[in-house]
Amino acid sequence: MPFTLAWASLRRHPTRTLLAMLGVAVSAALLLDMVMMSTGMRESFRTLLLSRGFQLRLAPKGTLPFDTDATMLNTREMVRILRANPDFNAVSPVLGGTLHFPRGDRVITASALGLDPAVQGDYELLAGRAPTRPDDIVVNNFLYSSLGARIGDTLRVATGYDPQTREYSGMRKLVLAGRIRFLYGAMHQRGAAMQLQTLQQMSPPEKADASSLMMIRIRDGVPMDSAIQWIKQRISTVNVISIEAALDQVDERLRYFRQLAAMLGSVSLFVGFLLVTTLVTISVNERIGEIAVMRAIGISRAHVVAQIVLEGVAISIIGAFAGLLLGLVTGRYLNSILSSFPGLPEAIDFFLWQPKSAWTALGLLALSGIAAGVYPSFRAASLPIATTLREEAIA
Amino acid sequence: MLSSLFLFFLLQQATPRTIAIDERLAADAHLKIGDRVYLSATPESRSPDTVIIGAILKRSNDPAEVARSEYRIHMHLDDLQSITAYGDRVDRYAVATPNEAATTRALTKINSAAFGFDAHRSKDIAIGTSKTFQVVSRFHKAIGVITIVASAIFLLCIMLLKVEERRRDVAALRLMGISRRTVMRAVVIEAALLALLGSAMGVGVGWIGSQFVNWYYRGVYRTPLAFSLITPSIVTLAVLLSLVLGISAGILASLRLVRTPPLVLFGR
Repeated sequence: MPFTLAWASLRRHPTRTLLAMLGVAVSAALLLDMVMMSTGMRESFRTLLLSRGFQLRLAPKGTLPFDTDATMLNTREMVRILRANPDFNAVSPVLGGTLHFPRGDRVITASALGLDPAVQGDYELLAGRAPTRPDDIVVNNFLYSSLGARIGDTLRVATGYDPQTREYSGMRKLVLAGRIRFLYGAMHQRGAAMQLQTLQQMSPPEKADASSLMMIRIRDGVPMDSAIQWIKQRISTVNVISIEAALDQVDERLRYFRQLAAMLGSVSLFVGFLLVTTLVTISVNERIGEIAVMRAIGISRAHVVAQIVLEGVAISIIGAFAGLLLGLVTGRYLNSILSSFPGLPEAIDFFLWQPKSAWTALGLLALSGIAAGVYPSFRAASLPIATTLREEAIA
Repeated sequence: MLSSLFLFFLLQQATPRTIAIDERLAADAHLKIGDRVYLSATPESRSPDTVIIGAILKRSNDPAEVARSEYRIHMHLDDLQSITAYGDRVDRYAVATPNEAATTRALTKINSAAFGFDAHRSKDIAIGTSKTFQVVSRFHKAIGVITIVASAIFLLCIMLLKVEERRRDVAALRLMGISRRTVMRAVVIEAALLALLGSAMGVGVGWIGSQFVNWYYRGVYRTPLAFSLITPSIVTLAVLLSLVLGISAGILASLRLVRTPPLVLFGR
């Protein structure tokens, strides 16, 4: 019975109800987007970091991976120490650098990674083969189209310039072995990968045994803390970064967006609440006579309260469902804007769809719908029946 | 590169050169002018350089630096080249020119002769490095549009309810001979006033919010930068937008009212 009455009351003013639901839908869309944004970045980054199963990363002390030009020395010795630990399934050293490709009268510059193709966790192969030979190079799609070369072509590649002698330094001929997609690559960033030793040889002498990053895959069941402790005891010149520590750093840098999400989410929830409260209150004011009659013929207070709360919840829930769809569309659009952040990995999603986000948004809106019905239902339930009926009759 | 330097504190007796450090490093490491520190490019270095802190610098107001938490030190070029084994190289030159024509001439000359580097106008570099802020700005605009849509619907709802509350008053006015146009004008003026009052309150709330945002983020990022600015143009835009939305909502709501016959409005 309360359902029927609540539904009839909403249908009495279709335009008003529709507008209220539309208002709630926009609020719900913004709320969903903000819930997705507050958790999406972290989850998306976690998925990305764990995509190849490397749980630990080593970077030069005081830095994060590729945050500066700093490198770790004695790479071969470090790899030997780390690979001696049976708890480590794989150790992948990586050196970052810059490559120059002279093409006629122009030079194309790209970032480069030197790595061990057998245990790498930085790219996936799209075409051709991995750089298994010392003179192999693989490039991403953006660099591939910039070079205008084809797989199998030989390219002249340098790692630097000497402006005084007007010559390239670290020049070497490399064979384009394949096309790749960097897992951590930013949008519109030219990139290439080759064997670690090749890049070390092409780089200045101080980088002959250097690496920028080391990724470690730990055997299942090995406690993370003991693995970190083991490394710290043997190699004191590096930062040992777990996934959680990396996520905390990301959180720290993107704190602004989480705070914005919390702020806008609260505002949208409040606006939705305000809208539903206003509508239900006015609707109750209009039906004050009806409610007094209902009470006079024996309808209980609880029944009246339930009917009014249901009105608020119905507006909130129907609006919320429409808002979820709208939120997915706007979230996609907002994500496309934030994805163009310079230097941000292309695979990172700010607005990550998770069923949990939708349930959170829906739950919050249902709660706000219930809260919105509290005041008007209290007012309706506490009406003095005889006085109200007399006033209505006079009116 | 600077951020990869490591500081080790120890008194020394040589006559070292000076460096300047940023105020955050000074505060966090309890350093003051005249202190001697060891500097090395790598943590395992066995022969670090000794330098004296000659100055403590205020953090620059560069927005690009805001989210970066690394400490900064400034040192003599040759010291840095030597400590990092960078040789006789630099990462960039800044060239001052007397005017735009000289800038263009310098650019052409340098780029025609240069090998391994390019000359750029400072403003082009500024555009390139401000991409982060352009992205944030686009994001804020998109959020702004969603907010405007939500407020428009909210305003329309409120106006609709307000005019519906006065169905009987309007019916009486219409039966007394007051024209549709007058009724409509009254509702629209009321909507405009409501929008104006709401905007004035919104500006007040916005100002308080802006003060809070600046206070909070200045503390978080330890910078004198203003994160939120309320300018006359922003206030004008907000008030105009609110007025347009309010008047439109008023017109729509009043149209609905004046098109209904007075007796129907009375409920007969």
